[in-house]
Amino acid sequence: MSDPTSNRSVRRYGWAILIGVLAVAGILLAVADISAGNRWPNPLAQAIVGPTTWARPAPDQAQTFRFDRSRVGDRLIFDFPIGGLGPISPYQALRAFLSNGAGLVLLALAALVVFPTRARNAVERLEARRGAEIALGAGIVMVLLTLASVTLLRFTLLFLAVVPLVLLVALVAGLFGIACISLAIGRLLHRRLKLPNVHPLVAALAGALVVFDLAVIPYAGVFTLAAVAMAGIGLAVVTRFGSAGSWSFVDLDW
Amino acid sequence: MSEPNALACARVRVLLESYVDGDLARDDAMRADQVRNHLAGCADCRRQHHQAASVPFRLKALTSPPPSESLTADVMQAIAPSRASDRRAWTLLAPEAILASFILWYLSGLDGLGSIADGIFGDLQGLAGWGSGAGPMPSVPPVDVLLLLALIALTAIAAYHLSILVQMAPGAMPTRRRV
Repeated sequence: MSDPTSNRSVRRYGWAILIGVLAVAGILLAVADISAGNRWPNPLAQAIVGPTTWARPAPDQAQTFRFDRSRVGDRLIFDFPIGGLGPISPYQALRAFLSNGAGLVLLALAALVVFPTRARNAVERLEARRGAEIALGAGIVMVLLTLASVTLLRFTLLFLAVVPLVLLVALVAGLFGIACISLAIGRLLHRRLKLPNVHPLVAALAGALVVFDLAVIPYAGVFTLAAVAMAGIGLAVVTRFGSAGSWSFVDLDW
Repeated sequence: MSEPNALACARVRVLLESYVDGDLARDDAMRADQVRNHLAGCADCRRQHHQAASVPFRLKALTSPPPSESLTADVMQAIAPSRASDRRAWTLLAPEAILASFILWYLSGLDGLGSIADGIFGDLQGLAGWGSGAGPMPSVPPVDVLLLLALIALTAIAAYHLSILVQMAPGAMPTRRRV
């Protein structure tokens, strides 16, 4: 028989436990991702977890390592017991979590703090029936549209300067969408795990950690992150960056 | 006592609703005058008239017909995206995939896309240099018309596809149908 007092305290600290578990899972997955290396089908793994080792600097290049004076990472690398896989580097995994993971969380929370009403509109529409499916579909189409239009603009001189603007809008849309998806995941965890009510930014923090954990799954992480980013772009486009009114061409038809 | 004649009051209260609606003045002008005169002298009936003429009371007096059995199903069917647009939303992925594959093949795969990205940033730097007078104006690279057509077709289909997906999205405003 379960003790109701201990159940209550587990419930009370549910969010803290969940965030801790997600952080540890992220670091462990990052360790595995670093070991897997960037062999196919694990492309661009280094972009997320960084290189496993750095070359020792020559005395005249010491400035390269001015941000890593302790050089602890060099001593905390272990050989993988099974052949064919790279070294185990927990320090580098922690570094990836505290740089890329923290960056993702901070950007997501910043987007939610700056645009709370828009985020709510977007999350409501993402949580509606077929919302996620439509966001992902729109994201795939948006990526195709962006690639085609950027390639087309490359063959012009007059509109070439628009390309950075297009890429900037796509980047902002992706960040806004990932922030909304993080909040939606946090709300889903709240409902499914029957966690106590908490500040929405804490739920969004848990959701952003889930996104980071998905991104560092060995081999599948890059594809998962791409899917989340595309769904984010699609969500931002479909909801017009979470505006209350949706796309309508009625005003053009008078 | 403010009630001059109990029978007259009862009669007036029966007629009050048609009096307020204006039906009584239209159908029987003399009776409407009698009611008006009665209201001028009877405070209780005047209060009843006041209440009967107020909007909340009149709204409360309205009865709504019972909804039909199929109301929920009908509404859900009316607001659900049509099967045709639903099908079109996913079948359009096929021509897009074909065009994207053709463009990738034409550009020699991901290497070609990489060279396009390099070219964009190189030309942007060249434009900035030309703007500041530090260098010549960059030249536009020659391109095959077939590639341009494929790019325009992909852009147009993707934009059309996006407009369908946007209409299918929950909370989307319906477009006005032409009559």
